[in-house]
Order: sequence, then structure tokens, then C-alpha cells
Amino acid sequence: MRQLSCSICFVLLWASNLGAQSKELHFVTWKSEAPAVWQQAIADFERDNPGVRVIQEIGPQSSTQLHDLLAQKLKNRDPGLDVFMMDVVWPAEFASASWALPLDRYFTSAARKEFIEAPILAGQYEQQIYAVPLFIDAGLLYFRKDLLQKYSLPAPRTWPELVESAKTIIAGEKESGLTGYSGQFKQYEGLICNLMELVLSNRGAFWDERRQVSLVDQPAAVSAVQFVRDHVIGAIANRAVLAYEEPESLALFIQGRAIFHRNWPYAWTVAEDAKSSRVAGKVGVSELPSFPGGNSVATLGGWQLAISRFSRQPDLAWRFVNFMTGEQIQKRIARATGRAPTRRALYDDAQLTAAMPQLKFLLTIFKHAVPRPRTPVYLPLSNVMQRYFSSVLALPDTDIKGRSSLAARDMNRLLELAREKPIR
Amino acid sequence: MKDSHRSAILFLLPSFAIVAIFAILPIIDSFRVSFYRLILTLPWLGQKSVGWENYLDLWRDPVARDSLRTTMLFAGVTIPLELLLGLGMALVLNETFRGRGLLRAVVLIPWAIPTVVSAQMWRFIFNDQYGLVNFALFGADTTRYFAPLADANFALIAIMAAEIWKTTPFTALILLAGLQGISDDLYEAATVDGATQWQKFWRLTLPLLRPALLLALLFRTIDALRVFDLVFVMTQGGPADSTNVLQFYGYKKSFAEGMIGYGSAIAVTVFLLSVVLSVAYLRLLNVNQRARASR
Repeated sequence: MRQLSCSICFVLLWASNLGAQSKELHFVTWKSEAPAVWQQAIADFERDNPGVRVIQEIGPQSSTQLHDLLAQKLKNRDPGLDVFMMDVVWPAEFASASWALPLDRYFTSAARKEFIEAPILAGQYEQQIYAVPLFIDAGLLYFRKDLLQKYSLPAPRTWPELVESAKTIIAGEKESGLTGYSGQFKQYEGLICNLMELVLSNRGAFWDERRQVSLVDQPAAVSAVQFVRDHVIGAIANRAVLAYEEPESLALFIQGRAIFHRNWPYAWTVAEDAKSSRVAGKVGVSELPSFPGGNSVATLGGWQLAISRFSRQPDLAWRFVNFMTGEQIQKRIARATGRAPTRRALYDDAQLTAAMPQLKFLLTIFKHAVPRPRTPVYLPLSNVMQRYFSSVLALPDTDIKGRSSLAARDMNRLLELAREKPIR
Repeated sequence: MKDSHRSAILFLLPSFAIVAIFAILPIIDSFRVSFYRLILTLPWLGQKSVGWENYLDLWRDPVARDSLRTTMLFAGVTIPLELLLGLGMALVLNETFRGRGLLRAVVLIPWAIPTVVSAQMWRFIFNDQYGLVNFALFGADTTRYFAPLADANFALIAIMAAEIWKTTPFTALILLAGLQGISDDLYEAATVDGATQWQKFWRLTLPLLRPALLLALLFRTIDALRVFDLVFVMTQGGPADSTNVLQFYGYKKSFAEGMIGYGSAIAVTVFLLSVVLSVAYLRLLNVNQRARASR
């Protein structure tokens, strides 16, 4: 495998030297909702930096798949990767594997203060920072304002309330194909985000970060999962949600076929766009419900820009990262895509808040958004949990308690492995 | 004599070098790595030689066992169906009729489309909101639309369907070549002896087609055991791990989780599995040919 990668690197190196008159900066990202805005931003950067050419490589939209692509490049120490888009859950792993460049030298603590705190914390690992936040995400509840009003129902505060409201509306609306809820329940990282909001809002947890032991087999976590299986999947939500990522679940909502919908902030702009959405003007948004006795929890998501440790031009890469995460570009991208910016100042920007009135509300959610636990073995842990959640939700006869203790056992083994780190 | 020998070696060298660099060395390296505990995200653990530990873990890993079962089920269902359908297609294409040349080319289209593209297409076909399968079954009655790829019992069947659609033309091609190798004289002689069509098929075509059938079986088995792209595009192993084939599991371990040692152990296992089956088929093929030669 290594021989193979070496030879590939060699060929790439040779190929890149052939045309290397200007400096090339390789940027791996996913396909933006507004490619033209990105292109323009990159063109502006190239204009400010003569002789530099930014080569944008478009990877998969799914976080899981983009991760695998990047991991492969970084594992091979691919010099053809300078800057990449990093999910908020990766810094611990990429730092620990020595794939991401620590940015403390460039990204001063004064500069960090200009950003919302949660994604800055997510970008840190063992007192060093590895990423600059570009977008911030948190789980939100979208709902059909018009339907709730018609049945004089408030925005639900608890999950059982949401289920009851959905049932009432479905019973009242004879409209075919109206479902109560759409979210992301496919076996992938989004499943973890959705379930984390449910489990934590029931005063449960995935694992205890201090003691490093799994808590998925504890009663609070188990009963939240049981609730989803009994009252959501195949009840108020179609079983099809078991194959949904964000785009499919949003499609259902903007077609006017779902009453409640869980998604990230960008869904607001899509749902309110009369050109693509049948429910424009009828959408309400609130914080996610909780279980009685628990607090609403929004999973912190979002994307950051990071620099590869194998980049040959870290200074230039930093200039690019700094430019792309700057106020001007963030503002432009926010207006075009509805993705929430990470710089505090933009939440007071008159122009932007006029275009995106939801920003004020979003800021209150972002302040309390909960990051997924930080550990270098996050991905293996996530896979164990994805396997567990997907199997108990997709197979209604499985024993949740039993499966949860199997998952907890696997998780504990991984956590133990990660704990063997020598103390420096 | 010696000179020609030398130049023959010289001519073989480039292709040997390519095979060595791109196939043999990586395989050897995978073997080596599979005896180490090597976790990319935990570099302080180092690269520790652990003997057979990865293989023992694999043996005890219930996910791997399920995964092996899924892979075998996938191979066991798709291969016979592909051979059967391929045989039917080959028999038709072997007849003389107008437009045969065109049909032969058309039949190959599914095989010519890159798998990732056809997998994406099948994902759309099985979509719960606008998929062709739902439309074919329920027409405009969208309330009855269902999501095959969200169903733990159906997702694997959906992937099998895509695989069969995609590779039946390949088996048909091999079998067609086999059919064309059978001399018409034999059929004429059989006709003279008063054999029925049915008898000709069972006594002539099928036995003489055996080498081609075994060859198709060999290729298909190797391919089916390492199925990956369809799963990657259509389901990512879900729901409930119901499409988590071995190669995908190995990929997840190596590339997503960074467990290179364990991932290599899975890859090596798949490799050995296909080697064992291939050798068994080749034996059959040889025995078959030797038997014919001595006849």
C-alpha cells in the first residue's frame, strides 16, 4: 500500500512540476449550494495574490465520505492538499494523527475572540488550535406555522407534545402523503446528531468524557431511543427516513409533505425560497423539543478550514484560510446560501440581519449548542453507535437494552485504547 | 534459441514490473500490515507487531461475521442468476436474426456504464419519493410509496438487483464466445442422428460450454466477493448494517476509523477467500479440459 502511494505521489509530483510556473494551492471542499459565490471569492483571492492559482477539488457532500477522502490523502502525505474543509467533529482525530497543522502561530487568541466561542472550542485539541470556523450549525426544529395555527397548536416544547400535535394535524388533514416528522436517520454521522439531541434532552449522554466510559446503555439513553422507535419511525415519520440524509429530508419538508422537520440553519433559506419551496412563508422555526424534565439540546455542527501538515506552503495556505473566513466572504456566502457565519460582528451587521432576520434567534441557539465529544477515536465510536441506533430503529424486534449494552462494551474498548496515551 | 529466450524475457519485463509494483507489492504489504496494530489516529501506540491478534479479533467480531454472511449471500444469489440470465442472453444472441449486431452492442451497455454511475441511477430508481420502482408498483398513489433502501430486508435485494443488471451482460459475453467455439458440424451430426432441440442443448451445448461457464463463474465469484462500489453509493452499509459487505467493512475500518492493521486483516481475508475459490474453479476447469483431451 505504501509503495503504491509513494509511486502515485511521485507521479503527481512530477506532473505538478511540469506546469509549475505559478504557485498552486489545492483546496478540497464539498460542492457548495452557491458555487458562483465561491468561485468569485477564490477569484478575488487570486487577484489579491498574483501568481497564485487556487485549485478547487470538489469532494462528496456527505461528511462521512469527505472524511474518508481526506483521510486517504493525508494518510498518504499527499502534498497536493493544502487547505481542506473540516467538520467540527474531526479536529481531535486530525490533530492526534498529525494530519492538521496547528495554527496557533497564525491564529492568535485575539483573532479567535472575534468568533463565536463554541466552534473555536471545537477546533482545539490539547491546548492547540487546528481550524478556523467558517460556518456554524446547530440542530433546529422547523415546522408548518400555517398548520399549527389552523389547529391552534403551539410550537411543541417536548417530544411527546410534538408527536401528539403531528397526530392531530395528520388526522385533521385528509391531504394524502402528509407525514408528521422528517429528520436524518440513515446509518451515517447525521444519525448521531439527531439521536444526540434526543438522548441528551432526556438527560442522558453518549459517554462520560471525564471518566471515559460509555453511557448509551443507561436508562435515560435507552428510553429516548425506545421513544424514537415506538413513536417516531414508522409512526409519525415514514420508515423512509431510515435512508434520509439532509437533502432528502428537506425535500420532503419543502414539498409540503412534512409537518415537523429537524435540520441545520441553511434549511431556513431553502424553505423560504418561493422558487424551490412550496411552503415559503408558512415556515416556523424554534429550538428543538426536549423530554419532560430535560432541556432542549442542539447538536453543534459546522465546517472549518484547516491546513494539511504536509502542505509545502503553509504561509500561503494560511493567507487563503484567513481570506475565506474573513468578514466579507462570510457575509457573501451567508447571503447566498443561508449558512450561518462564525464571526460575531456579522450578527450585528445591519445589511446581513435585514437579509437574514433569523440570525438573532440563531445566535441564542449557537451559544448553547453542544459539541459531540472530542476524542481521537471519535469515528470508530460513531460507527459503533450508528450501527446500534440503525439496527434498533430499522429492526423493530431487536432488544434495545441488549443491543445498547453490546454497543457500550464496544465503545468502552475503544475508549480504553485511546486512554493508553502516555502523559507528556 | 537462447537469444529469443532472452528477448522474450525482455519483452515480458515491463508488464511484470507493472504487476509487481501495482499488485504484488501492495498485496505483500497488506499481509505484513495485517500483523500489526496500527491505528492512524492513535500514533503514540506505534506500530506494534501483534501476531495473529487482528485475525483472532476478526474471528470473534460479530459485525465481521454478519458481514461475511451478507457477502456470501450476495455472491450466492447474484452469481447463479447472472449465469442463468447470461446463458439465456447468449443463446439468443448466438442465433442468426436481423439486427443481431446491434442487439449484441446494446446488451453490453449496462456493463459499459461505470458502476458508480449505475449505482447512482439505481439509487434513484429505488427512491421513495420519485423512484421508478414505486411508480411502476403504485402509479400515482404516492401514499403507498415505500423506501426499499430504508428497509433492512430489502436494501440488499435492491443492491443485488443492480449487480445482476450490471454484470449479466458480462457473463453473456463470455458464454457467447464459448457458444461460438462450438462447431456447427456437431449440431448437424446430432440432427442427422435425430436429436431433439432439447437433447442438443443438454447433451451438446451445455457440456461443451462448461469451460466458458466455469470461467464466467470464476470472474463473477472474484468480483462478487469484493463488491464495494454499489454499497458505497447506494446505502453506505445501512440500514442496520444489512448491506455491510466485507470489503465495505474493511474500507470503513481502514479509511474512516484509521485502523490500518485490522482493515488489512479484513482485506487479506477477502483476498484469501477469493484465491481459494479461484484455485478450486481452476482445478475443475483443468480436470475438465484434461478429461476432454484424453477422450
